[in-house]
Amino acid sequence: MQVLNLAHASLYMLGAYLCFWVSSLLSQAAGSFWWSLFAAPLLVAVFGGILEAMLLRRIYDRDVLDQFLLTFALILIIGDLCKLAWGVEYHTVDTPWPLDGPVIFGGLVFPKYNLFLIGCGPLLYVCLWSLINKTRLGSVVRAVTYNRDMASALGVNVSWVYTGVFMLGCWLAGLGGALVAPMSAVMPGMDMVVLIDCFIIVVIGGLGSISGAFLGSIIFGLVTAFGILVAPRLAIAFGFILMIIVLIIRPWGLMGKPE
Amino acid sequence: MILRVEKLKKTFGGLTAVNDVSFDLMEGELSSIIGPNGAGKTTLFNLLTGHIRPDEGRILFKERDITGFQPDRVCRQGIGRSFQRTNIFPKLTVFENVQVAILSIRRKSRSLFSTASRMLVGETMEILESIGLAEKRNVTAGLLAHGDQRLLEIGITLGTNPELVFLDEPTAGMSPEESWKAVELVQRLARERNLTLLFIEHDMEVVFGISEKVRVMHLGSILAEGTPEAVRADEEVQRIYLAEET
Amino acid sequence: MMSEFLKEMKSGKWIAVLVCVAAFALLPIVLQEGYLSLVNEMLILAVAACGLNLMMGYAGMVSFGPAGLYAVGAYTTGLILVYTKIPFWLALAAGPIMAGVVSVVVGWFCVRLTHVYFSLLTLAFSQIIHTILFEWYDFTRGDDGIVDIPVPSFLSSITHYYYFSLVAICVCLFVLWKIVNSPFGKTLQALRENPERTEFIGINVRRYQLAVFIISGVFLGIAGALYCGFNKNVFPDFADMMKSTEMIVVCLMGGIYNFLGPVVGSVVYMFLDKLISSNTHYWPLVLGCVIIALLIFMRGGVVGFVSEKLAPRGEERG
Repeated sequence: MQVLNLAHASLYMLGAYLCFWVSSLLSQAAGSFWWSLFAAPLLVAVFGGILEAMLLRRIYDRDVLDQFLLTFALILIIGDLCKLAWGVEYHTVDTPWPLDGPVIFGGLVFPKYNLFLIGCGPLLYVCLWSLINKTRLGSVVRAVTYNRDMASALGVNVSWVYTGVFMLGCWLAGLGGALVAPMSAVMPGMDMVVLIDCFIIVVIGGLGSISGAFLGSIIFGLVTAFGILVAPRLAIAFGFILMIIVLIIRPWGLMGKPE
Repeated sequence: MILRVEKLKKTFGGLTAVNDVSFDLMEGELSSIIGPNGAGKTTLFNLLTGHIRPDEGRILFKERDITGFQPDRVCRQGIGRSFQRTNIFPKLTVFENVQVAILSIRRKSRSLFSTASRMLVGETMEILESIGLAEKRNVTAGLLAHGDQRLLEIGITLGTNPELVFLDEPTAGMSPEESWKAVELVQRLARERNLTLLFIEHDMEVVFGISEKVRVMHLGSILAEGTPEAVRADEEVQRIYLAEET
Repeated sequence: MMSEFLKEMKSGKWIAVLVCVAAFALLPIVLQEGYLSLVNEMLILAVAACGLNLMMGYAGMVSFGPAGLYAVGAYTTGLILVYTKIPFWLALAAGPIMAGVVSVVVGWFCVRLTHVYFSLLTLAFSQIIHTILFEWYDFTRGDDGIVDIPVPSFLSSITHYYYFSLVAICVCLFVLWKIVNSPFGKTLQALRENPERTEFIGINVRRYQLAVFIISGVFLGIAGALYCGFNKNVFPDFADMMKSTEMIVVCLMGGIYNFLGPVVGSVVYMFLDKLISSNTHYWPLVLGCVIIALLIFMRGGVVGFVSEKLAPRGEERG
């Protein structure tokens, strides 16, 4: 969409909080986590849609500075709103049945839930990739990103497409947050951690490329893991160094296209 | 001879934009390049001014090889250029637009602590007067009428004190009346400052009215070269232009 | 627009400037120490923002990571004072010098890129600086920061330090003002407006961009070093994204194409900050709303907004 959105990380955090909130509301019912996993991303998507229609829509044609600032402002606001609503303390979500407990595989112990997450990643990637590249809806989206005016002349309601794509992005961010909730504590500040990581990953992979983001996250994961082995303290710096190298050699990212 | 172009070639991907172009420009010559859209005219200009690097061939300016020079260096050799789309500094005043060019060419731009507004005022005003914008010197350039912006563009180019100027469609978007004024201005300036001019132009009246020599480009090559009369009579040129129109 | 501004400066505006400086000089008589240190902090922020504005407003290079260089200045001065016996003045001078050296390296990479990529790269570098300050515990004392930095006794009182930094800040602003109005400053503005055309009036674009990156870095370093002496403690969050955003917001709040914009911006910003922080914990929430309001309703910042309202219609707009 060619919009620099830092607030994505906040939507991720919001997803985690909502997942916690819904599952604690439904704590009596069976499968409460699965209900919240369904509900939380949807709520985030609705919230994102409202944001897009009210604020982001106004800054598409502005320069990056404005986009940076506006979305950073949203980070501040959403962060504080979460604190207001759920307090500053940690929250946890129980690992859901049937994925609680470990599985033993070749003498190594894995938590089932982690394996589930590992499976989710590629699945989502495949779904998203085929949505963008194989469906009619996807071709409309690509047409709009490629040439707004042309698409609009062909009768595509451009602003609805933008809202839709943005909501899809929010849904994904919310889903990510909800999925991660049982694994780690839900707390203020979790947005900043992913913000920086996402940022590096997207830049490495190439702005506007889903395959790039997927590849980027694998490379980033490997490099960080390597960094932790070699120099634990400077592990984060490795990510940035990687990003700088990519930016200098191929500013448009590994899978992106040059302008 | 002020400029010699030898077998210039540039391809983008599989497409040959400029193919084996060679020509010479004499000092004080007023000549033009015409050709249908996509013939490679602007690419040729971009090659000559260092914005893109040729794959093959050489460019000699006053017998010095300037092939592969960066644009700022090409400009310092004494080659000026105006652009197809109006290319000025919209938020600076008319005066400052021309002044930055003169400052740069006089190597004053690096000065950190002198006050710019008092420098080279005479030189700047002289150029503004010769392009007829002296009275509008304090107007923000972006607010000028389109025709005046085109004139200012020429003024900026003059500020770099060139001997050879490439003009990329100087009359684009002008009314016929404005066009003629601009053409007269360009002719007068060329005489006064002893400039060599090469321009790309679409307006055939303008081209045949003022050029001493016309070159026709088609599909990246120079197809015909000669006096306006000779080119107009050339059968192949007629064929291309007729094909273009139908 | 600039040359008109200059004319106004000649007639009468100098007097206004002198009155302003005199007013600041008299403040310690009127104000309590608490408020005085607030004013001091505000002035230091103004220097940082003006340094950033030289690059962002005048040269059009949007940096997302100015806080990195600011922190380099602050840490250099702080570390020298804590670890060595080098006199205070030299340590203070070392901050900007180090910031300049770091900007040479960072800038050398950054000016190779344009638009959003330039901005992203500045952000990446400032995050690296932050990581180093945060994680290199043995040297920078990580999260604990460097505390109790020794400052000469005659500067330890708030009033004395205020006068000292007021002088330093006036000098900085004067130098910046000279730069903005110099041929170099004009060339930067041309560069912002139209890099392609600037190249073809014989300007080596990258070299000028690198130069302004370094100059801006030095001023950020000066601000950092001054703040280090003022606060006597430095922390890694001097380099974080929040601090960078603060500087950008200050520039934007005041008006980015205006020389004094960042100064006005820092006054407004600090005022809001203290006013809100003393009443609620949710300063970020309010700041976020302020930023959004700025972006949507007041594109030119406070100065731009006021001059737009005052200016006769149809003139001066670009």
